[in-house]
Amino acid sequence: MERERVVFAFFIVLALTLNFGFFLGDIDNPDHHEPFELGAAIVVSLIATVLKFGDRSPMGSTLLATSLVADLQLIVAAALWGFAANLGEPGVSERVFVSIVSLSGGALLANFISVVLLVAETVTVRR
Amino acid sequence: MNDIVWLTMRRLRTPLIVLLLTYFISVCIVVAVPGVDGDGNPVRLSFLDAAYFIAILSTTIGLGEVPYVFTELQRLVVFFLIFPNVVAWLYSFTAIIGLFLDDQFKAMQAHNRFVREVQWLGRPRSLWDRILQRESPKEGLPFYLVCGMGATGSMLAEGLLDRGLHVVAIDRDAALLTRLGIDARFARVPMLAGSVSDADILRVSGLDPRYRSCRGVIAVTDTDQANLTVAITSKLLRPDLPVFARSHQQRVCDNLASFGTDAVVNPYQIFAKRLALAFRSPIRYLVQDWLLSVPGSKLRTRLNLKNGRWVVCGAGRFGQPLIEVLEAAGQSVTVVDVDPDRVAQYEHAVEGRGTEAATLEQAGIREAAGVIAGTGDDVDNLSIILTALELNGKLCTIARQEDPKNAALFAASGTQLVAQPNLIVTRRILALATTPLLKAFLDHLEREDDAFGERVESLLRRRLGGRAPNVWVTELVGPNARGLTAAREEGVELRLRHLVHNTRTALGEDLRCVCLVLERGDLRLVLPNEEEKLQPGDKLLFAGRGQARREISRALQDPVLLLDFATPEQRIPRTAIGRWLARRGS
Repeated sequence: MERERVVFAFFIVLALTLNFGFFLGDIDNPDHHEPFELGAAIVVSLIATVLKFGDRSPMGSTLLATSLVADLQLIVAAALWGFAANLGEPGVSERVFVSIVSLSGGALLANFISVVLLVAETVTVRR
Repeated sequence: MNDIVWLTMRRLRTPLIVLLLTYFISVCIVVAVPGVDGDGNPVRLSFLDAAYFIAILSTTIGLGEVPYVFTELQRLVVFFLIFPNVVAWLYSFTAIIGLFLDDQFKAMQAHNRFVREVQWLGRPRSLWDRILQRESPKEGLPFYLVCGMGATGSMLAEGLLDRGLHVVAIDRDAALLTRLGIDARFARVPMLAGSVSDADILRVSGLDPRYRSCRGVIAVTDTDQANLTVAITSKLLRPDLPVFARSHQQRVCDNLASFGTDAVVNPYQIFAKRLALAFRSPIRYLVQDWLLSVPGSKLRTRLNLKNGRWVVCGAGRFGQPLIEVLEAAGQSVTVVDVDPDRVAQYEHAVEGRGTEAATLEQAGIREAAGVIAGTGDDVDNLSIILTALELNGKLCTIARQEDPKNAALFAASGTQLVAQPNLIVTRRILALATTPLLKAFLDHLEREDDAFGERVESLLRRRLGGRAPNVWVTELVGPNARGLTAAREEGVELRLRHLVHNTRTALGEDLRCVCLVLERGDLRLVLPNEEEKLQPGDKLLFAGRGQARREISRALQDPVLLLDFATPEQRIPRTAIGRWLARRGS
């Protein structure tokens, strides 16, 4: 068992599960989407990115790219939420909320690809 | 991607993760803790407020800007959050800054900078570069790779830079290179601290085949073994490049020569050979000495070595070849050495250092013709010379000086002939690398008789005016043949006589230089006649003052100066079109 692999796989999968948990629910209902969960998803995704720093293998580079995509989508979603909630008229409009959730949906896809790559790599290593 | 980026990213992993976790957990806790607003209504901080608050907290900026005054509970919680945050930031900052101060990181940066600088030297020049900078040749700037930047290496580098060539330097000693890097003379020399036995280092320093402009490799490190390594590596990687290597042992010299090292320079052998010439023919020795001394220094007078008994102190790698030379020249030799094994090898020998009067007396210094102070220690050598001169003021004195910094001491000691191995190696390699014709001339001088020596001596004495000459080669090609080509178009034969006179005055006085060799293909004329016709492609070896060198290159590069000088009765148009029109008109 390799400690580095365990840690990395843990963060990659956790990023996916948190992202999925946030995404789950009606797309326009703020009560179904917990801000803490979004924050946690961002941080876990960032950590997964940092963990891939300095990995020179081609798989490492691809994983770095996918988690950078997830970071980007999640941070944009969070920034959108922050601006909508604190600037202009109070409360988040339905339209803005839909785009926040759909952005996190995009990140979900990126995280999913990461997990698929991770699994594929693990499978090839075993053989 | 670049090595530095990877190293940075690897090192930053832990600090960044620590920072992210601390920050996020703190924000969550601040959001979770309930508070009250100004009116006493229960309220919680939003994520934005919390993130902002933790940011100013953890960076210890502390703007004190929060939406509402905290409740006691909030304060209590924040109080416990302050410490992990500040510690996390300080840890991350020191880790990041420490990375930039890290030796490994700096070494990698220095390596990258070095590689970039060498690439710049070897970069093929575009047409535009060549227009802007007239001298820059097509394939890159010509440079030599100097391995070992000690006393010899730095003198060599300086000499090469003076001749308009570039230098790339490698040395094992990083502290030495740092010192040299501050020196203004070496400001534009790419230097790398590294082992010369690493083929990869040699490759990026100029042995890579893409560096077409690398002109040669010079191996002058302290150890014969390292020089050997450099020579072998460069002969394997770039068989086309000339290799010049210093060596102090005959065994290593033979080894170096065996795989085609172009020049193996053993300063002790060279000095012994010069001394042999000095015994055989003082006049030819004098001419050789003039041509090899530092340009601009005072011309030395004739060295008269007396015949008789010579006391040689130190029979090591310096003394031993000299003893052979002295014996071959019919002198009797007494050896003084501290090593009983060496003493046992010679017929007349005294065990001792030679710095004490008693030892020298025992060696018969009072009746001796000369003394050679050839130990490896400069102070001992000075002491030997001074003691010997005190006992016998009429002695011929020869001393070995290893450290260039002691030059003033040896000059003050009144020693007639000082052998500086560093200087010998430097001047020999410079001559071989930049003026190979000089070597040819000196070999010729050694073979010729004294009458030839007298002729050269009187020529040089008349033209040089008491100062040691610059020695240079003028090749009649490219821009250096412009005047010659123009003259040939006009049907005027230029002769050597035209070149060595001042073409810019009506007087046409002699330039202060002597043409020593004219080389045309396989033909080599030593001391060519002044009436010799010049042809494009000729190589001329001159010895003379710098002023003469400038006059000659000016005359050669100007289309009509030489032509007007050769045919004073008619003026020729300056431009090629003008000359063509003039020819058509007549």
